[in-house]
Amino acid sequence: MSTHAPVSADVAIVRPARREPSAWTLALQALIRRKAALAALIVLLAIVLSCLLAPLLSPYDPVEGQVRDRLLPVGSAGHWLGTDEQGRDLLSRMLYGGRLSLLSGFAPVVLATVIGGALGIAAGYFGGLANTIIMRSLDVVFSFPAILLAIGISAALGPGIVNIIISATVVFVPPIARIAESATKEVAKEEYIEAAKSSGADSGLIIRAHVLRNVFGKLFVFSTSQIGGCLVIASGLSFLGLGVAPPTPEWGFMLNNLKQLIFIHPVVTVVPGLFIFLTSLSVNLVSDALSDAFDAKR
Amino acid sequence: MGSFIWKRLLLMIPTLLGVTIVVFLMLKIVPGDPVNALVPTDATEAEREAVRARLGLDQPIFVQYANWLARVVRGDLGDSLVRRLPVADLLLPALQNTLLLAITAAIVSFAVALAVGVYSAYYPKSSLAATFNALSLAGIGLPNFWVALILIGVFSVALGWLPSAGMKSAGGGSFADIIRHLILPVAATVLSTVGVMTRMVRSTVSGILQQDHIFVLRAKGISPTKVLLHVLRNGMPTILNVAGLQFGYLLGGSVLVETVFSWPGVGQVIYQTIGQRDFPVVQAGVLIIAIAFVGINLIVDAAHAALDPRVRRV
Repeated sequence: MSTHAPVSADVAIVRPARREPSAWTLALQALIRRKAALAALIVLLAIVLSCLLAPLLSPYDPVEGQVRDRLLPVGSAGHWLGTDEQGRDLLSRMLYGGRLSLLSGFAPVVLATVIGGALGIAAGYFGGLANTIIMRSLDVVFSFPAILLAIGISAALGPGIVNIIISATVVFVPPIARIAESATKEVAKEEYIEAAKSSGADSGLIIRAHVLRNVFGKLFVFSTSQIGGCLVIASGLSFLGLGVAPPTPEWGFMLNNLKQLIFIHPVVTVVPGLFIFLTSLSVNLVSDALSDAFDAKR
Repeated sequence: MGSFIWKRLLLMIPTLLGVTIVVFLMLKIVPGDPVNALVPTDATEAEREAVRARLGLDQPIFVQYANWLARVVRGDLGDSLVRRLPVADLLLPALQNTLLLAITAAIVSFAVALAVGVYSAYYPKSSLAATFNALSLAGIGLPNFWVALILIGVFSVALGWLPSAGMKSAGGGSFADIIRHLILPVAATVLSTVGVMTRMVRSTVSGILQQDHIFVLRAKGISPTKVLLHVLRNGMPTILNVAGLQFGYLLGGSVLVETVFSWPGVGQVIYQTIGQRDFPVVQAGVLIIAIAFVGINLIVDAAHAALDPRVRRV
């Protein structure tokens, strides 16, 4: 980049984009690019760890409330995140609730990666009729808005976290399978696969030793990028009452319960959603950095 | 162009068949025997068999599907178990309201994404673009039902500017009244979808800006406005495609947004009937929105073909 003065005024007007960015802007960008990913990773780990350690960290019982402590605002002594209409400590409920919320955000993506990965690799490697049957049947899922399909399946199966995980898995299998299929097709064209075939290796061995190893990176990056969306979908289902039953804490369902209090107790109402958002945002930032790093490596 | 649309219409048939199969199977995975809901608890096995035969539940599953499909094609979506009404009577008026919300949100979202995306692509190093970039990244993980609650908290509870629920005031229903009710649901929907669109517009436009023909246009001294028109014309097919996909997200997300705002659309009906386990309504609601989504995608494809001659040759 040159820092020469523009040759004529016209050039400067036609190409304002060439103006050198201020140091402040560059710093902001650098922060957004890498530091944000690092901060996001720390936030994510902190949320996951504190939810796992909920029994040790929670100041109060997540299910039993104290009637005299009802509707305390955020920042109250002893109840940092306030209390709900039954006098239950919000912080404790958030910590315990996060276990189910995080599970329903991560588990479907893990399951879908295994199932969708297997289907996509099979379709991409064997090609032909197998490819057509697998990929065209998965295509049907793309005709539905994702969350709507998940709502339909979840509503049919009935309320419960396991059913939320099942329906979210169904939604995430096809996109993951597509990635696995296209990555596998690319690898299958390579000469070393041809060499392995002609030296008599069977398909199982080739897939395990060559295809999987080469497809895994792409699959991993893509699946990571789906976790945030999955968390939002799963908590959305829960928000609609398709997840846990009261009094079990869970972020999406807590948001549903608290929404009735919005006219008298507005700030507390927002807390569970903030956690859903923070978690999903952190996962997205981390996965963004991952995919940048992955692209740079190529 | 005409033959392209015919081909796309024909291709819709397998898609719609797939959609109906999935929606039909949803009813089949409902746990428990559907006959239980229809007979008294002391019914004999013979009485139960009679109900089963009357409903066609004793037939093989593909025959049941064909019968169900034949009814759906004729517009018979079954009856609500709870309200004893044809499901279609319940859902079709609601569909209008859902489309009003979704289409308004889609237009706003498209306009915002286009403006912000083009600006960020033109001035990638500006601090405003960096801010937009951070905001759009944040917007991707934003749960729309949470945004909806925050908007109610700020604009209805704290400021008292806008109504928090419904589509019309009591006794109201004028155009201005509906617009006032529309603002918050549209804002919630747009805020949670516009991030993805903006990023897509930005990357498409900045890709085009680096191409040689744009360089030549600028070298020829053509005015920046005309150059922008060239850029948009090149980018529009890609942008429209993403907009179509986003519309699906918008329609699906409407279930949640409508629930928060008590907006009288399909999503609100689905939410209420899930609670009552009135499954025929849920099933039909899912079907209607999926069909609307397939239809929108057809329109987007047609627009795509109109803008990009290469597509028409497929």
